[in-house]
Amino acid sequence: MDPQMMVELGALTLVGGAALIAGVAEDLESDVGSQSNPNSQVQLAPQMGYLHRLYNKAISGEPASYPFYAAIGASTALAVLSVTNNYSLIGVFFALVAGAFITSLIHGVYATTSYMGRIASQSRFGQPVYLDVLRTHTPVLMAHGFVANFSVLLLTWVLIEQNLSPFPFVVLAFIWGIALGGVGSAVGDVHLGTDRYYQDRPYGSGVNAAHSGSVVRKAESGLRNSIDCAWFCSKFGGPLTGLGFGLVVYLHFWKEVVVKGWWSPVAGVIMVIIFIVMNVYLESYSRKRYGTYKEESE
Amino acid sequence: MAEGDRSPGSLLGIGVIGGLIGIYLANYLNMVTGTAWFSFIAALGAILAVFWGADAVRRVASYGLGTGVPSIGLLSIGAGQIAVLLGLAIGKFAGLELADPIIALILAAIVGIVNGVMARRVIKMNIAIMERSMTEIAMAASIILLGFSTAIAGSFAFDQIMAYVVASGFIIMVFIVGGMAMLHPFNACLGPDERQKRTLNLALSTGFLAMLVSGIAAGAINGVPAAVPTLIVAIVGWIIYYMRFWADTKQDAAAMLSTGLIPKEEEVMT
Repeated sequence: MDPQMMVELGALTLVGGAALIAGVAEDLESDVGSQSNPNSQVQLAPQMGYLHRLYNKAISGEPASYPFYAAIGASTALAVLSVTNNYSLIGVFFALVAGAFITSLIHGVYATTSYMGRIASQSRFGQPVYLDVLRTHTPVLMAHGFVANFSVLLLTWVLIEQNLSPFPFVVLAFIWGIALGGVGSAVGDVHLGTDRYYQDRPYGSGVNAAHSGSVVRKAESGLRNSIDCAWFCSKFGGPLTGLGFGLVVYLHFWKEVVVKGWWSPVAGVIMVIIFIVMNVYLESYSRKRYGTYKEESE
Repeated sequence: MAEGDRSPGSLLGIGVIGGLIGIYLANYLNMVTGTAWFSFIAALGAILAVFWGADAVRRVASYGLGTGVPSIGLLSIGAGQIAVLLGLAIGKFAGLELADPIIALILAAIVGIVNGVMARRVIKMNIAIMERSMTEIAMAASIILLGFSTAIAGSFAFDQIMAYVVASGFIIMVFIVGGMAMLHPFNACLGPDERQKRTLNLALSTGFLAMLVSGIAAGAINGVPAAVPTLIVAIVGWIIYYMRFWADTKQDAAAMLSTGLIPKEEEVMT
């Protein structure tokens, strides 16, 4: 095996690992904030008379907020690098940390504004703003966001260093932010929404219009807050999101590094076909195995 | 719907005139002094456009767009992006570089009208103010993009924007940070008890945050001394308007409790 390919395979492993961590942290972060699609139910709850102590972080959806964080982080890292002019391993590492740190501060500010803004706009339903929810949840959000964003910046930097992408650093980080947000929104949120907010309804029943906003508000002990949701989702939804994003990144660059040149799009098409076949099989298997949802007879 | 103390017309005036003055003033002061210290004025102009754009988003989105708020914001900022790059290119090749921001503004209005007509007549979204709002948001977006780009590059000349903002990739940061500054205020204050003053104070606060980030990027382009005025103004402005937003929230919220259980139904005042 030629040395260049060894280096590229090493980079590939690093990038895949960073993507895995980014996916896990991203999903748990969005669960603490109840962002993206389950957010509509949290938003609706006070209106339906279900006052709650959940966080309501609407910084757009995840596929828009993650590129936002990634672009800020990448710009900051680039600014730090150009000021320090230290492109050694340690210099780059600290620049990426600085980028992720500044981003997590801005993330925290945006998170507080959306919690306060949305709750204050529901005052007619009597939903109070809980400052302890704000105080306890925001640092958790920022920390998870930091990990996710740092991982995105790291994987972007490795790709740029290895000349695996034609885009400038900030643009590539932005694109991976969209991918990360998209995967997090599609994979992990289902676990949060159906298994956590509607854990008292049979799985697969969907949310009946009559149950809109009727999210579970009591926890195993006391009242539920959104950090409990992250604890629950860290068992399944978060790791699965990590696996999803890790696979997207890993397989994409695996075909670039191992199957080179014009064959790499062909390999990509074959992979997509394999995934489609697997998904169809999985769906038809589970439909046959568990059947359709039966309305409960009351 | 979406009534407020400030009329759409006055906000349009503030956005267009304030934004253009900011961009031109920054460009000329930088050119005359041969420094990039005055870049922050362009960012202040962009913040006035954020102020206007956030209200335009608020007006159109209060027709019940809900999850469509980010969509309409990002669509329009995309329109603004096309208008800015095309405007700068036309300005350069027609020898009208002085008129760049105005050409960009006019192009943004055209793209915005087309978007609005498509949304209302073709996709048949039944929103009476669609065309006007889309036009206004796209125009505001063009000023936001050009303002923050000028704050980074120090000038709105085509070559400088291309070299320092587009080629370096900062353009995508300006795109999303400027877009978020404009669409986040209404998205964050969505609800039946939304109030214009609170939303617009939040818009100024997010605008100053966007200015902070563009100040950081300016540090990469023009060095730390050029970034310092932008960063100081951004931090001070952000603190002022964040505190105002906080005070507005305290005033508007049903209650602001340090902690507590969920209020029982009989405790909820209606």
